[in-house]
Amino acid sequence: MARELREVFYVDGVRTAFGRAGEKGLFWKTRADDMVVKLVRELLRRNPTLPPERIDDVVLAATAQAGDQGLTLGRSVALLAGLPTSVPGLAVDRMCAGALTATTVGAGEIAMGAADVVLVGGVEHMGHHPMGAEVDFNPRFVAERIVDESAAVMGQTAENLHDAFPHLTREDADRYALASQQKAGRAWDEGVMDELVVPMTVFTDEGWRLAARDEFLRPETTLEALAGLRTPFRAGGRVTAGNSAGLTDGATAALLASEDALSEHGLEPKMRLVSYAYAGVQPELMGLGPVPATHTALARAGIGIDDIDLFELNEPFAVQVLTWCDGVGVAPDDPRLNPYGGAIACGHPLAATGVRLMAQLARGFRDRPGARYGLTALCIGLGMGAAIVWENLQDGARG
Amino acid sequence: MASPTRFAVQPVETALGRIALVTMDNGEEWQKPTTFGEAALRSLEEALERLETETWAGMILTGKPFVFAAGADIDEFGEITPERAREGSAAGHALFARIRALPFPTLAAINGAALGGGVEIALHCDYRTISSSVRHFACPEVFLGLIPGWGGTQLVPRLVGAELAVKFIVENPLRQNRMLDAAQAFEQGFADALLAPVEFLDESLAWLLRAIEESRPPRADADLSDAAEVVRKARARVDGQVHGAAPAPYRALDLIEGAARWTLDEGYRAEEDALAELLPGPQAQASLYAFDLVERRAKRRVGIPSAHPREVGKVGIVGAGLMARQLALVFLRRLEVPIVLRDLEQSLVDDALSWIAGELDELVRRGRIGEGKARFLGSLVTGGTDWEPFADCDLVLEAVFEELAIKKEVFAELERVVSPECILATNTSSLSVTAMGADLAHPERVVGMHFFNPVAILPLVELVRTPATDDVTLATAATVTGKLRKRGVLVRDAPAFVVNRLLARQGAVVTDALDHGNTVEETDEAVLRLGLPMAPSVLLQLVGPRVANHVRHTLHAAWPDRFPLSATLTSLAEGGGQVVVEHAPRTVDEIHRQVLEALADEAAHILREGVVPEAADIDTCMLLGAGFPFWLGGITKHLDQTGVSQRVVGRPLAEITPDEA
Repeated sequence: MARELREVFYVDGVRTAFGRAGEKGLFWKTRADDMVVKLVRELLRRNPTLPPERIDDVVLAATAQAGDQGLTLGRSVALLAGLPTSVPGLAVDRMCAGALTATTVGAGEIAMGAADVVLVGGVEHMGHHPMGAEVDFNPRFVAERIVDESAAVMGQTAENLHDAFPHLTREDADRYALASQQKAGRAWDEGVMDELVVPMTVFTDEGWRLAARDEFLRPETTLEALAGLRTPFRAGGRVTAGNSAGLTDGATAALLASEDALSEHGLEPKMRLVSYAYAGVQPELMGLGPVPATHTALARAGIGIDDIDLFELNEPFAVQVLTWCDGVGVAPDDPRLNPYGGAIACGHPLAATGVRLMAQLARGFRDRPGARYGLTALCIGLGMGAAIVWENLQDGARG
Repeated sequence: MASPTRFAVQPVETALGRIALVTMDNGEEWQKPTTFGEAALRSLEEALERLETETWAGMILTGKPFVFAAGADIDEFGEITPERAREGSAAGHALFARIRALPFPTLAAINGAALGGGVEIALHCDYRTISSSVRHFACPEVFLGLIPGWGGTQLVPRLVGAELAVKFIVENPLRQNRMLDAAQAFEQGFADALLAPVEFLDESLAWLLRAIEESRPPRADADLSDAAEVVRKARARVDGQVHGAAPAPYRALDLIEGAARWTLDEGYRAEEDALAELLPGPQAQASLYAFDLVERRAKRRVGIPSAHPREVGKVGIVGAGLMARQLALVFLRRLEVPIVLRDLEQSLVDDALSWIAGELDELVRRGRIGEGKARFLGSLVTGGTDWEPFADCDLVLEAVFEELAIKKEVFAELERVVSPECILATNTSSLSVTAMGADLAHPERVVGMHFFNPVAILPLVELVRTPATDDVTLATAATVTGKLRKRGVLVRDAPAFVVNRLLARQGAVVTDALDHGNTVEETDEAVLRLGLPMAPSVLLQLVGPRVANHVRHTLHAAWPDRFPLSATLTSLAEGGGQVVVEHAPRTVDEIHRQVLEALADEAAHILREGVVPEAADIDTCMLLGAGFPFWLGGITKHLDQTGVSQRVVGRPLAEITPDEA
C-alpha cells in the first residue's frame, strides 16, 4: 500500500561557544558529552511546551567515537541530560557532515513515520580528540594508491585545491577570510549570535569561567596581518591559520518535528526540509564535494541555484569556499553567502558544524522575510560533500 | 598532601554587570578535597583585595568539580601552640568577615562536599544554593575534639535556630559523625535553593542574577530566645553520652548559647578562646591522631604481604548461630558469591536461612537493594548438615562453639572435602589459631578472621597470622576483608589477640571490684568516665557472660596473675548473680585508676610480645573494633598523654617495641 511521505520541520537550534582546541582552550577540562547535555537542556527550556518524553530519538554525531564522545552519544547524552529513560538515542559519523547527517537521519525517521520529534546535533572536542589520532589508516590506501597520501591531511587537500585551480590565489583566500571575520564580528555586535550561542560555565585551571564567545573571532584582523602568516602545510603554500578554520571544541543541537508534532505541542517551525544530497569526489580534492552535492540537492528540489536566497556554507578553508563559488556560480562576496561569517571566524568542530549552519540559516531567514529557499552545505573528509535545501517558514512564509 | 588551595577570580559579564566567579581549587582530582591551609588563606586575601577594589555586581563562590571545600587543613593542627591556634582562628574570622562585608550580593554555590570551614565560608555569603547531589554537608569539628572556629558556632544558630544548630554542630558529630545531604541541608534552612547538579553553576548564576534584580533579602536571623533552654537540655544529653570526658561538645554548646546574646565579633573572639584551649589540648590531639589512623593508616594494609590474593568464588560458613548468620549475610552482600552454611541440626540451618531472607527483605523495604537483587542474593545461600557442599569453596570461615577440640574437628572434616588451597579461616575470639591448624596436612592455609559483634556496624577484622600461615592466604584474607568493607589489622596469634584481650583485662578489674562488693552502678561509672560508648555491664550482656568467662579462662590459662578468675563472672555465666567474696569495696576513682593502669600494663605486654608491632595498631583496633572514642586516640594515646603509661610501664606506649625473640 502506498504511503505518504511526511514533511520534516526545523524547530530550533543552538550551539555552545566554540573554543580553541588544546590545553589553552576554554573547554580543555570540559567533557564533550557534557557540552551537548547543556544544549539539550537549553532546547527543552526554549521549547517548554514539548514534553521531554515525546522526543522519539536523539541522533548525535561525532567524528571521534571514543572517550568522552564514545558511549553512543545520543543515548548517553539523553540520560545525562535527564531525559526520561524511555527516550532512545544513537550516534552517527560522517566526519564534518556529522550533524548534517544526524539531521537527515532524524528527518528520515520522521518522513518514514517512525518518529515525530527528533533531537539532532553533534560535538567535536578536537582538543581531546586530535584529528586522526584515534584512527588506524589501512596501509592499502597508500600501497595500492587508493587515495593520494595528502588526502589524510585536510590542510594538504586545501593546498591541492590551490594547485588544481591556480587562479584562486592566497590573496583571494585571505580577502575572503577577512570578510568572514568582519561579518562574524558584526553578527556578534548586533546580538545575532547571542540567540544561537548558549553560554555555559566551564572549569579551567584558572577556576570556573563562562564560555560565551568564540575564541577564534578576530574581527580586527587585516589583510596585512593575514598576509604575514606562515603556511604550515607546505613551504611556499597558500593555506594559513588565518584563511582556514582553527582546531575547535564545540557542540550543537537542534529540534526536528513532524507536522503532527508541531500542532500537538504548539511548536513554531522555522524551516521545512526540502531536499538533501550527499556526494563523493576524489579524496585528495575533498573540498570539491559540496559542488556535486549542491547540484543534486537542487535537482531533487526541482529548483535552480538562483532560487536560493541564502547560503550557509562551511568554511574549513577559504579556498574550499572559492572552489564552490566557482562550481555553482556564486560570487564570493555575494551578500547571500554566509552573512554572519563562517568557520574561519568561529571555528569548525567537525561533526558539530552542520547544525550551526542550519541555526544561522534559520536566523538569516528571519532577517530576510522575502527569502524562500536556503542551502546548508559542507565538504567532508575522504572526498565527500553534503547539502540540504531548506524552505523559510518565518514571517508567514510557511507554504 | 594536597597542593595549596587557590581562590581563582574570573569575571563574568552579565546584563546586570560584572559578576565575580570565585573558585576554590587545590588543583587535584576530586578524590583529594580542597582544604584551607595557610597558603589558601593568603590566596583568599588576594582575591578579597580584588573583590574589594574593583567594581562588581555580585559574587559566586564555588568549588572545583564535585567538591566545595573540606575545611581547615588538619595537617597543620598537630603539636600546635595555643597562640597559633588562636591566630589560625582569628585569621579565618578576619577574612571571612570581609566576605560578609562585601558591598554587593554574594552567593555560595555549594557544588559538592562542604565540611567545617567549607560550611563556614558559605555561611559568610548572603545566599547559598546547593546541588542536590551533595551528600556531605557538616561541621564535624566536635567529632575531632574541636569546635567550628571560623564563625560556625555563631552563624549556624543565627541561620537555622538553636535547636538545629545543636544538632548540626554537636549531636550529629557525636553520632558517628553523621552528615547532612543536600535535601536535608535545604530543608533545615542552610541553603536558599536546591538545584539539580547537571547545570548547577549555570543555574546558580541565574539564581543570583534574579536575586540581584529582585533585591532579595538574605534569610532573616532566627529567633534565638530559646537558646538557653535548648542548650540546657542538650547538655544533659551530652552528659549521658560522653560523661564529661570530652570538652569540645560542651564548649560548642556554650558558644551556641552565646550566639543569642553576642555580637558576631564577640562570638568570633569566643571561638578563638575556645580553639586556643581545645586545639592544643589532649582530646583534640588524640582525635586528630585517631582520625589519621582510621582514615589513612587503616586503609594502607600495614604489614600485609604483597602476594597475589586468590579469587574467592564460593564461601563456606561453618555454624548457623548468631555470629555465623551475620557473617554469612555480610559475605553474601559484599562478595555476591554462593554461600553455604552448615550446622549440626537442619532446624538451626533453616532458622539461619530464614533470618538471612528476612534481612534481605528488610534491605528491600528500606530501599537499599532492589527486589531482583534480593532474589538473586537469596538464591546464592544454601545450607545443610553435610560437608560435601563445601568441596568447591575457596574460603571457609568457621564460627562454631569456642572449644579448641570442636574447631580442630571442623577443620579436619573440611580438609577431607576442600581443595588443598581452600582457605580455612576461624572467627575465634580467643583460642589459638596455631593449635587449630596443627594437625592439618595444610596448616599454611589457616588464618584468623576475627569479626566484632554487631558485624554490620563494627568495621574491624583482626587478621591473625600463625607461624604457618603463608603469604597468599594472608593476602587473600586481607583482600576479602577489604571487599567486605571492613578494616583488617594484622595480629600475631596470641590469646584473645588485641581487642578482647584489652577488654578482658578491663573486665578483670571490674569483676574483681564486684567480687569485692562494689555495685554494678559504681563499676559502670568508673569505666564510662572514660567516655566509652557502652557500660561494661551492657557490654557483658551483649557478649554473653558465658563467652566472657570462656575468654577469661583462656587468658587465665596464659597469664593467671593478670587474668584472675572471678566468682561473680563464673556465677553470671551459670545464670546466677553477683558473688561477693570479700566485702572491701573501692571508690569509683580507684576503680577508674585501676582500669587505666591495667590497660596500660596489658598494652605494654601486647607490644613487647609483638602481637602487633606498634601502639598505633592497638589504637586502630580499639577505635574500630570496640568503638572507643576518638578523643582517647584509641587508648594508648590517652594513656601516654595522662602519664599512666609512664607510671605503670616506665615509658610511653608509643615507644615500646617488640622484644627480640
